[in-house]
Amino acid sequence: MSDPIQFKGASQMPMISVSFGHMDWNKTGAWRAQRPFYEDKTPPCRASCPVGNDIAGFIQKVTEGDFEGAWNLIKEENPFPGVCGRVCFHPCESKCNRRDYDEPIAIHALERFVSDFALNLNRKMQEAPGVRKGKIAVIGAGPAGMSCAYHLTRLHYDVTVFESSSSAGGMLRAGIPSYRLPKDVLDREISNIEALGVEIRTGIPFGEDVNLDGLKDYQAVFIATGAHQSRSLHIPGEKGKSVFGGLDLLKKINLNKKVKLGDKVAVIGGGNTGIDVARSVIRLGKKATILYRRSKEEMPAFEEELAEAVEEGVKIRYLVNPIHIRQEDGLQRLECLRMELGEKDESGRRRPVPIPKSNFFFKADSIIIATGEEVDVSYLPKGMEKREGVVLTQRDGSTGIKGIFAGGDLASNQRTVAHAIGSGKKAALAIDCYLSGKDSEEAIRQILIGEGPSISISRYLHPEEKRINPRVVTFDELNTDYFEPSERCREAKGVVKKRIKGFEEVTSGYTEGSALEEADRCFSCGTCNRCENCYVFCPDASIIKAEGVLSRQVDYDFCKGCGICFSECPRRAISLEEEAR
Amino acid sequence: MKKVITGNQAVAYGVILSRVDVISAYPITPQTTIVEELSELTASGRMKTVFLKVESEHSAMAALIGASTGGVRCFTATSSQGLAYMHEMLHWASGARLPIVLVDVNRAIAPPWNIWSDQSDSLSQRDTGWVQLYCEHNQEVLDTVLQAYRIAESVKLPVMVVLDAYVLSHTSEPVEIPAAEQADAFLPPYCPEYPIDTREPVAFSTIATPDHFLEFRYKIQKAMEQVSEISKKVDDEFRSRFGRGYGAIERYGKEEAEMLLMTSGTVTGTSRIVVEKLIGKRYDLAGLKIKRFRPFPFEEIYGEIKGAKKVAVIDRNLSAGVGGIFAQELRAALYSKEKRPHIFGFVSGLGGRDITPELIEEAIQYTADHARPEEDILWLGLKK
Repeated sequence: MSDPIQFKGASQMPMISVSFGHMDWNKTGAWRAQRPFYEDKTPPCRASCPVGNDIAGFIQKVTEGDFEGAWNLIKEENPFPGVCGRVCFHPCESKCNRRDYDEPIAIHALERFVSDFALNLNRKMQEAPGVRKGKIAVIGAGPAGMSCAYHLTRLHYDVTVFESSSSAGGMLRAGIPSYRLPKDVLDREISNIEALGVEIRTGIPFGEDVNLDGLKDYQAVFIATGAHQSRSLHIPGEKGKSVFGGLDLLKKINLNKKVKLGDKVAVIGGGNTGIDVARSVIRLGKKATILYRRSKEEMPAFEEELAEAVEEGVKIRYLVNPIHIRQEDGLQRLECLRMELGEKDESGRRRPVPIPKSNFFFKADSIIIATGEEVDVSYLPKGMEKREGVVLTQRDGSTGIKGIFAGGDLASNQRTVAHAIGSGKKAALAIDCYLSGKDSEEAIRQILIGEGPSISISRYLHPEEKRINPRVVTFDELNTDYFEPSERCREAKGVVKKRIKGFEEVTSGYTEGSALEEADRCFSCGTCNRCENCYVFCPDASIIKAEGVLSRQVDYDFCKGCGICFSECPRRAISLEEEAR
Repeated sequence: MKKVITGNQAVAYGVILSRVDVISAYPITPQTTIVEELSELTASGRMKTVFLKVESEHSAMAALIGASTGGVRCFTATSSQGLAYMHEMLHWASGARLPIVLVDVNRAIAPPWNIWSDQSDSLSQRDTGWVQLYCEHNQEVLDTVLQAYRIAESVKLPVMVVLDAYVLSHTSEPVEIPAAEQADAFLPPYCPEYPIDTREPVAFSTIATPDHFLEFRYKIQKAMEQVSEISKKVDDEFRSRFGRGYGAIERYGKEEAEMLLMTSGTVTGTSRIVVEKLIGKRYDLAGLKIKRFRPFPFEEIYGEIKGAKKVAVIDRNLSAGVGGIFAQELRAALYSKEKRPHIFGFVSGLGGRDITPELIEEAIQYTADHARPEEDILWLGLKK
């Protein structure tokens, strides 16, 4: 501390009291009772993503205009951004904190934009270099199998995928109509995985042309053969002519095979397959009516797809349950009972209860049963335990048989693309642990996103990278003073008249402008995006910038621990803890 | 260019022509259309200004103190309780020697609630170290804003420009609006005494112990004492450029007279007619307009007052317990002089009541009829 200045009189003094000296000697950090520090936390979108995508991370790259960087970041966890951007049920958006503010971020649309951008640049994945650690067989080239193959290749294994049908894609190719997922998008993402060095052998059905005995050369096997059998209604007449399974019909349409449906088609079931079937039928120039035994509230189909179906002319009859199918004058005469809703069942939805003597008849040229799919267990090897209709696995995908892992729809009743991709990734990790003698449970615990169940394989591949606090950031923890209400950017959709004429993609992707606009809406929960609020507000100028960029460091020599940086951080990327005494 | 505009618009034109960098204001009652005009001009891009909408008048002035310390030209406007709420920061602006210009639309202070004109808001702030200039008409309002920046930036003191509510603020008059180039030639960009340079940090308004505090206040008084000379220079230059000038005071009527009528603000406009009429009736009378209240123009006034025997002062304000504030200042100013006229302190027109020609005539008649006032406060138009 310098000596106090003494002036002889006014004539020597400056106009105002002003100090030209510095206060660096005064290390005010010694006064601190609490310590702020930068600590990224888990955003709710990523915590709820079954694939474990670094959503806030890739959106941040989009805001910077670094679309290729965004693509690279997504690819760390997911080889199917083009698919997921179109058909994922985006639980991330249901959990988006912005939902509590105005409207959630259109994460799926941004993911699609990034993947389309990469396509336009003709970006290909690079073959993973390095010595191969072993040979792995993957059965089934659906999203689970291909995800597993992709990540195993990145973990330096030689992978061969065996696929029963003539081309890879599994349910993505057979079950999803091309107006939702164009085939070229799927082809591109699969060929990207192939480019990494994955070998796909098609036309080889498991259990017939290849079985476990024939795979002895492989150190581990991942089975993800899916669920392809349409669930039976268990009503008389359902085996009749002109009664089809929903998935079977979709497969035929997807393979451009002719189907004789007649003019009027009844679709039984209110799930996504039912909607896909009804909309496909409309596109074939027929009339479609969906019969569903509960009400709209309970319907498992995604709201947006339901709305699009209704736009396109699909009729829906709620609270009706078919009990008998008869043939009459070449028509299908469907006897139904009207239902009412009773108490809640184990799924949390109100159980439909038949109204006695409410029988009525519904006539159609053909009937499609789309009440879900089941796993065909006939070809599964012995010793593979089953529960609730699916193969029983541990958290890491391991089955009762050593070296055999399972995933996707085969091993789960959460029948979504994202869950399948996630399970393939987890199995890849587990196989690596199995073959290198590591404890897979411990490995999973290390890379869980939030409380799980998703994992980040990127963290497994790059353990040196900064840890993220698993705590999920809630809306209440954000400082919304720094956000302004804004509308979610909608993706453009084709006009109904045009889109029912064929199987062209209904939704068109974002323009660069709307992608930037939508990305800007992201709160970036728990993820520092260098907004510099801390730097601006720190009364002690104790937030350090290096070469003009926020270094995310606090100068503890001078930080008094006032906590303003903590409270003014819009996204809870700063934590505050009491100083040890 | 001549336009028919209100006093509030005249202020806005003055602010545009002064090329103000930062405007900060609280937009709700008792705010006037001044900042509404300015916010629209800023939003439309006609004015390149940072417009800060703040949560109170206290913050409005605090924000300007920050901006002005940063070395830019600043402006705000307020009225009545708003100015009262700013009080603490008014002291800060002058103590920190910041040349901020504030326009106050003169309004009574509640309770009882009253939104009309009197001078109690601005005169309550007379000891805050601000220069205060009162205007008679809308042309003077515009011209005074321009002059205020010249004065403020020369002596490094804040200036308050005052106009009567409604009588000027909301009344339209023809006003000559100077061309931008002319205004620029008159008012060069502001050069701060202590520009902020992050490479050489400086701490402002650090503590001053009893060893030095008195001296800082002495310097403010010395700066105030320069205002007379500087504002005369500024006014003379303004007159040569624009053909209009105002002075600290203005005498009208007879060149030598026994009786003087002293007024400020718009009352002067009415008084000019009454004085002319009464001179016609052989009254030995002249009028004295006081434009500058702080620093109080003792010498200028004394120069005009020497020969007079009586001075009638009409105050549109009341310092309860004493009387009209202009009369009180005048009495104090004359105390040391040998020849002192009698001061007739009239109080009238509080809370916006009109000071009519009849009332002014009544005040002059009373002054003519009495050798000395019967009371210290002479209530004009009081309903007893």
